[in-house]
Amino acid sequence: MQPTVESLPLFETLAPEERPEIASLLEPASFAAGEEIITEGGPEEYLYVLTSGEVEVHKEVVPGRHQHLATMQAPTVVGEMGLMTDPTATATVTARDAAEGWRLPREAFLRSLDSGSVAAHKIAYEIGRTVAERMAATDEAVAKIIAGLEEDRASADRDFDVFGDKLMREWSF
Amino acid sequence: MEESDIKGGMKAARIFEFLSEEESEEFVRVSEPVVFAPGEIIIREGGTPSSLFVLTSGVVEVMKRVPGRGTRKLAEIDASDGRTVVGERGLLGSSGASATVRVGSAGEVEAIKIPREAFREMIRAGNPAAYKLATRITRLLARRLTRLDEEVVGAIRELDRRGETDLDVFRDKLITEWMV
Repeated sequence: MQPTVESLPLFETLAPEERPEIASLLEPASFAAGEEIITEGGPEEYLYVLTSGEVEVHKEVVPGRHQHLATMQAPTVVGEMGLMTDPTATATVTARDAAEGWRLPREAFLRSLDSGSVAAHKIAYEIGRTVAERMAATDEAVAKIIAGLEEDRASADRDFDVFGDKLMREWSF
Repeated sequence: MEESDIKGGMKAARIFEFLSEEESEEFVRVSEPVVFAPGEIIIREGGTPSSLFVLTSGVVEVMKRVPGRGTRKLAEIDASDGRTVVGERGLLGSSGASATVRVGSAGEVEAIKIPREAFREMIRAGNPAAYKLATRITRLLARRLTRLDEEVVGAIRELDRRGETDLDVFRDKLITEWMV
């Protein structure tokens, strides 16, 4: 069965003639309740386009404690960071109930990008728009936190200056 | 600034190095040479999403308003050093700039501007060169965001190790929209 890629936000900017190219790269994927779709620290070789089900995102922020970061309802996409960076997952995504959809293999997608496929570049652009907004939100959160830390410690703690400087280096404005 | 100077300036910025000669030409056509006076603001925090600027000479300061703490200088960027592009996030994003980029007091700054609107128009027209640049910026931002997240997690772990009591607030504020 050919997936209906145009129904998903990540693919909706594709022209009708560009859709078959991307659809041909997609492989069916289904997960049982409780199954891990992506495992923190493990490989991230696919972008998942989920058409049904609900997934939870957890991260081991402090060793031994798994912090719940988000619950996402289909239709949704996970694994887009792995597509654009090193393919190592920074969080775990688990199916809450049975989840179904499609997976886009990273290697095949990168080959399309390298060969100059406009369809692949359009998908990368949509991911980029999300990354840019996430970056903006993180910048603001970090600024507030640094201000809070400085207030608490009256700037006496040099460690936090170092932390602040490190964070600021990675900013994009 | 002559067209050949614009080409040369863009070539020197790594963000454009993957473009073919013809693709570079398309950006040269929409780019504008700009000169900013000492103290002039190139990108304003909280303003409209910025255009992209390739700094070709001079020094800029990056300033950030920190709530309750006034304005803090984050960095100084010298066009003769490695990083010479500012405003790349503005091309892709829809939020205003998160910092101000201002010309230093020592002298003027020369730059090549790729206006956001011109870039968006190229994207709307399905221009492959614009999409290639967008992919390059996406990869750059994704890498930075991953490193930023790592630093944040490192700081949370450090606070936890020290037995900080305000950890939950800290953590919740920072980890709001993790991208996997």
